[in-house]
Amino acid sequence: MIRYILRRIVQMIPTLFGVVLITFVLFNLVGGSPARMMLGDKASARELEEFDEQRGFNLPLFWGTHSTTRLYAETDFSRSAGPWSGVPSSSWTSGEGLLLRGGHPVSVPVAFTPPAGRAYTWRLRYTLDVSNESAATFGDQPLTASDTPRLLTWTMRSGESPPPVFVLPEGAVLRILALDCRRHHDRPWQSQWLHYLGQLARFDFGRSHAANQSVIDLLRQGIRPTLMLATPILIGETVISLVLALGCAYHRNRFFDRFMLFLCVGLMSVNYLVWIVAGQYWLSYRLGLFPVWGFESWSYLVLPVIIGIAHGLGPNVRFYRSVMLEEMHKDYVRTARAKGLGPVRILLVHVLKNAMIPVITNVVLSLPFLYTGSLLLETFFGIPGLGYLSINAINSSDVDVVRAVVIIGSLLYLAANLLADLAYAWVDPRVKLS
Amino acid sequence: MSGSDAMLAPAPISVFRRLLASRLSRCCLVVVALYTLMAGYGEAVYQWHQWHDTVPGYQHQDLDRRFQPPSRAHWMGTDALGRDVFARLLQGARIAFRVGIITSLIAIPIGVLLGALAGYFGGKTDDIIVWLYSTFAAIPGLLFILAIAMIAGKGLLGVYLGIGLTMWVGVCRLIRAEVMKQRSLPYVMAGRVLGFSHARILFRHILPNVTHVIIVAFTLRFPASISTEVFMSFLGLGVQGEPSWGIMINNARLRLWQGVWWEMTFVTIAVLLIVLTFNLLGDALRDALDPRLKKVK
Repeated sequence: MIRYILRRIVQMIPTLFGVVLITFVLFNLVGGSPARMMLGDKASARELEEFDEQRGFNLPLFWGTHSTTRLYAETDFSRSAGPWSGVPSSSWTSGEGLLLRGGHPVSVPVAFTPPAGRAYTWRLRYTLDVSNESAATFGDQPLTASDTPRLLTWTMRSGESPPPVFVLPEGAVLRILALDCRRHHDRPWQSQWLHYLGQLARFDFGRSHAANQSVIDLLRQGIRPTLMLATPILIGETVISLVLALGCAYHRNRFFDRFMLFLCVGLMSVNYLVWIVAGQYWLSYRLGLFPVWGFESWSYLVLPVIIGIAHGLGPNVRFYRSVMLEEMHKDYVRTARAKGLGPVRILLVHVLKNAMIPVITNVVLSLPFLYTGSLLLETFFGIPGLGYLSINAINSSDVDVVRAVVIIGSLLYLAANLLADLAYAWVDPRVKLS
Repeated sequence: MSGSDAMLAPAPISVFRRLLASRLSRCCLVVVALYTLMAGYGEAVYQWHQWHDTVPGYQHQDLDRRFQPPSRAHWMGTDALGRDVFARLLQGARIAFRVGIITSLIAIPIGVLLGALAGYFGGKTDDIIVWLYSTFAAIPGLLFILAIAMIAGKGLLGVYLGIGLTMWVGVCRLIRAEVMKQRSLPYVMAGRVLGFSHARILFRHILPNVTHVIIVAFTLRFPASISTEVFMSFLGLGVQGEPSWGIMINNARLRLWQGVWWEMTFVTIAVLLIVLTFNLLGDALRDALDPRLKKVK
């Protein structure tokens, strides 16, 4: 038994890895840096950089020694002088690059003073026209006089190396064709990917920027209302669907069965929104049976639970009915009938018991949805559960929260799969766990 | 199950005849045709106004004519800004059909290709593809769709990508199972003995025999996509600035309390009818195309 569980857990690792990879690709690779999305347009380059630093977004994605930085806005001077416009003793003309005239030291217009202990790599393409060669430097690197473009790469360590300043003797003219700056990392394996894995290993899901709270805390607060809403829905849905499915099987191909089948398709086709809007309007507002919105006592849960059950009924009844009908054709049912058992007893005792495996699979596999909760129900009834949390997070681009909910939801799905397998063995003695 | 000819999909003509035999299916086909016309008309109006750069009728605001109940001039009344509800409803149909078709165009090729490869070649290919789709299947569906839409940005593109990139999983699973069954049939072996390439056997011989799975999958995914689009737009993550059904429901929801029932009612009926029709049609098609599938959920 324990060996079986362990083996199944090992088998889950590839899928789990896949989920982690997909969330990584989705949020880090495709989504780009969420700093701007979260901090807004007014944030300074320095704030954005610190935000990325904290979350590891300034690292290379998988492997490498360089990554982007906001220290210096890169430009190739083809359209404008970029950050250089307005810097004294510099001039820009279209197609010629940027000209620096000697005499005074000229600092590179960086967006902020880099904090100590970080390394940046500058790449400079230039031509230099100067008589006294030794005196021209960029930081601590000498610049060589040349008519043809030369490339200079300089890794600057803030705090140790001199700042990025051009020192040119009087009369010298430096033409900068391109200049860019990248973060330098000494250890190439220190990547966003590793940072992300490390975070997950520590169960650190980051911070919600909208609520300014750790994501774990938010999840912990949200789980209780979600369970309070979802558990009655799951139980009610299962019990009512089973009863109706048994009824269908009993009356199969007669009016009740046909009517139920049609009703199921009808119920399935009603959009969740319509259930919610109609329920809130008719039952809460017109008839005043339930509160419309909020989460203060159990009475606030009644309407959402009813709607949740009504919405889930259609597919469940159809599924359970087909399971029951399949069982009805089996030999043991014929035997039971031959020995004179009544149809009710056959259905309730024999068929129901044998139909348990698909039923249990269906129920166990819907367990993860208890956790995600009904996104819509929670949102539109103002129940502060995980669904409400997720929708708010999506609306405010709160990446960390969305990511955490997605990952935990997937984990639960995998766990539910395992649970379903174990439940088979429990229900059906013929199933051996090996 | 035992006879090999039972595995082959029935000829298309007999399928169509079997479908037409039931009155319900005939009604469904008529409704689908009507909606397609509506969506086509909506698309034409939209494109015409795009081309001429004019304000279309469904965006035309007239505050003197707000909240008009249904009348000759406005069949379904007017909304809070005096816009004609019927014209907006047609645009909603256009967007719903676009979403249904484009998401299928994203999902079905991916699902069919991966499913066919996995089912036909088995082994390592199968392992990798099964890994891929079980990974996608493990992520909570709606949340995944919304997350993709969040990354892609608000608007129709996010809706297409979100639904399309999650919907292929089901198609892939069905096709894989069906191709696996077909693989061991005599006609495939005959093809191999004749020296046909794998690509030819797979795409010329096996795929036509599994089209019924694709058709049923399409018919059942279509309403699911429409429903998803409706509440994505409702949540404000979907279509922006255009009259999607979700947006109309969201606007009408607030007016309902003031007794403006028409917008809500007509939009609701429009959504219900098309989803119901496709669901019924999907069931009927499944029964007509493949009686063996009837037992499965």
